[in-house]
Amino acid sequence: MFSFSALAGLLLRRALCLLVIVPLACTGYKAGSPINKDWLINHLSAEPSTLNPITSTDAYASTINDYIYESLLKRDEKTMELVPVLADSWEIADDHLTYTFHLKKNIHWHDGHPFTAKDILFSFERIRDPKVDSAHLRNYYQDIEELEIIDDYTVRYHYRIPYFRALEFCGGIPIVPSHLFSQDEDFNRSPIGRRPLGTGPFRFLHWDTGKEIVLVRNEDYWGEKPHLERIVFKIITDSTVALQVLKKGGLDLMSLRPIQWVKQTNSERFNKNFTKLKYYLPSYSYIGWNMRRPLFSDYRARQAMTMLLNREAILKELLFDLGTIVTGNFYINSPAYDHSIKPFHYDPARAVSLLKEVGWEDRDQDGILDKDGVPFSFEFLISAGSKFAEQLATILQENLKQAGIRMNIRKLEWAVFIQNIQQHEFDACTLAWSLSWEADPFQLWHSSQAEKGSNFVGFKNEEADRIIETARQEFDPEKRNRLYRRFHQIIHQEQPYTFLFTTEALVAVNRRFQNVQVYRMGLAPREWWATEEQTE
Amino acid sequence: MTNYLVKRLLQVIPTLLGITLITFLIIQLAPGNPATLRLQMAGQGEMGQSGMAAEIIEQTKKLYGLDKPLPVQYLLWVKRVFTFDFGTSFKDHRPVSDKILERLPITIQLNAISIFLVYLIAVPFGVYSATHVDSTTDRLLTLFFFLLYSLPSFWVAVLLIMFFGGGDFWDVFPVYGISSIGAESRPFLFWLIDRLWHLILPVTCLTYGGLAYLSRLTRAEMLEVIREDYIRTARAKGLSERAVIFRHALRNALLPIITLLAFLLPAMFGGSVIIESIFSIPGMGQLGFEAVLSRDYPVIMAITTISALLTLIGLLLSDILYAVMDPRIKLD
Repeated sequence: MFSFSALAGLLLRRALCLLVIVPLACTGYKAGSPINKDWLINHLSAEPSTLNPITSTDAYASTINDYIYESLLKRDEKTMELVPVLADSWEIADDHLTYTFHLKKNIHWHDGHPFTAKDILFSFERIRDPKVDSAHLRNYYQDIEELEIIDDYTVRYHYRIPYFRALEFCGGIPIVPSHLFSQDEDFNRSPIGRRPLGTGPFRFLHWDTGKEIVLVRNEDYWGEKPHLERIVFKIITDSTVALQVLKKGGLDLMSLRPIQWVKQTNSERFNKNFTKLKYYLPSYSYIGWNMRRPLFSDYRARQAMTMLLNREAILKELLFDLGTIVTGNFYINSPAYDHSIKPFHYDPARAVSLLKEVGWEDRDQDGILDKDGVPFSFEFLISAGSKFAEQLATILQENLKQAGIRMNIRKLEWAVFIQNIQQHEFDACTLAWSLSWEADPFQLWHSSQAEKGSNFVGFKNEEADRIIETARQEFDPEKRNRLYRRFHQIIHQEQPYTFLFTTEALVAVNRRFQNVQVYRMGLAPREWWATEEQTE
Repeated sequence: MTNYLVKRLLQVIPTLLGITLITFLIIQLAPGNPATLRLQMAGQGEMGQSGMAAEIIEQTKKLYGLDKPLPVQYLLWVKRVFTFDFGTSFKDHRPVSDKILERLPITIQLNAISIFLVYLIAVPFGVYSATHVDSTTDRLLTLFFFLLYSLPSFWVAVLLIMFFGGGDFWDVFPVYGISSIGAESRPFLFWLIDRLWHLILPVTCLTYGGLAYLSRLTRAEMLEVIREDYIRTARAKGLSERAVIFRHALRNALLPIITLLAFLLPAMFGGSVIIESIFSIPGMGQLGFEAVLSRDYPVIMAITTISALLTLIGLLLSDILYAVMDPRIKLD
């Protein structure tokens, strides 16, 4: 559903509603027949901590593991539907409590060992084993009563309660090869974390700490074999250096920062060698108001805060217009997002009158609004290392000052920042969430999550609670989205967050690759190929 | 001498314990804890329905052994360290010693080369400054070294990369990593040249800043020695200026400088976060920095303990070196 992401490292992206085929037909590049020996050199800005799919938590690991490991099903890039991978088919009981998967029979692990239901059971047990460092995954599987092994090629999940994302979770379970583990081994320390072994189209070749991770095509792959022979992940920690390496031809693919997109990649030489792509992916940034504080307990005060922030100017000045302003918690290109809701515009006059309604006025003529003798003054928490958050804070401070509100900026190291937020020791803060294709607002917005969960702003609304609960057991996407659009309206009215932006992901790709398509959830480099003429 | 050595070695133990205890308390009492961070650092990975649920954080704390009272945790740590077991990293569950050994060689290479270069360049210039004291050249040299000293290394690193790394200017040096792909499987000479070629830019950044301090120190020491009676005696004997300076003056002036070498031991072990990050070098600096940010207690403790131990040994060595080189000093 959601996860904390520091604004700093976040690549905010948008998916396009339609499949966009990127025009690569330039003069001098004839599309020939694909060759099967080209390598893709990809950029990693940091090293994954482990490649064990059950204990890893970072995005770098999942980028790499996507090529190595497979699950029972996946979300198809083109249709966004769940399609079978290691499963041949599945059946869902009418009460949505049991899910039966029939496995494909010709699947082998990269070491030749056959893949069976035992592997699924083993992986499932590891995820639920308290001795395994997989707490981040455990929650997804808490509502499963039992995983039943019917035979070597059939498994059945029994759920306690129906849940609309259950199929995605139980079918998307990370699966590790059970034959590589002994009974008394510490799973967390298993060598598989450094030498992953899966069933996927690429197999692991080597990992040179701090330098590179190399995957090579699995020649015995059960499905359609990719054209690329190798995928190399180069670890280059500095993005200025990475761009230079890209320009020299040492990288084929990298994410660009907005400033690089706008200013440093426009030369003729660059555009002859690289295509620049931009697309949206589900995520958004926001300012969260601590609703437990008397300052922000009234929705009018929160609406006023939103009206005092000039989001249009920030988007233009700081983000070079590479993004869009959002009004709610759902991904802007998903059907749950209500486009009829327009963002509050920058409107200091209206904000001042709203604040007056709540009782904030400058009675003592000192330039600061006050109420019952208390001045309107609060602290804005930002995470050190996020340049965007710092610039945003400065602009907000200036905007608020003009309206007679005193805001102090407090910059904290990430670990401390998170702790303060979790203990609700903040007035306001800025962060970003990344979303998955189908989102469930429960974790962020249900009142039960306000004390110890991710609903750290303390949002409590009875109607919203009811919608969340009903939607979790609503299996008709149409009806669910109708509920969510209503939910979106409540969120907009209440403004627990000042929603900021969904920004675009920016990448540069070497032009020798063909079939480079931008899907709604990003790129799929495993489909790419290069042709004979272009690699010479 | 033996008595002194035994005494000093015994003193190392309580000092080291004190250092580790203080470090342990500081990192444990600092805000932020590894269990929470692990769940929240998930970045784009998804989090479960109860997200930050306290129960899950408790489970992870227990797994990491953080549920026990602090004194118990510390004693358990001390017990393990006495058998040279630094435990496993919270981040990837690999033994901490493996993680350090993996990164140590490159850090030592970088530091050894740059420290050697600092001495090689700074000492002769220091001597020259001392023998030509207050001349224009002396002043220019001082100015030049201080200019270098004041240039921030990240800025110089980026400039070097821009101009020599094949951006829009010369493409002379590689700009990241420490060797080319597949260099390990080539002949040794090839590997060596490739490695040196990769190290030129980072070593330059690590070296230039150290020149000012050492050359000024050499100059000051030399000036002091040159005023000594035995130098006058040497001159009076009719020795050549060269012999006076290099055989009589420099040898004595180098005494304090050589004892500085004792501090090299811990210096060899520590890396530079900035230079390592810019040049994508997997060294000790990055390891330590990331460990602190992610509250990876076992790694932080291991690095501080080893640095502390090396510093203590370095101090002991420097005292011994003094005694060996200067017969006037007696240790007892």
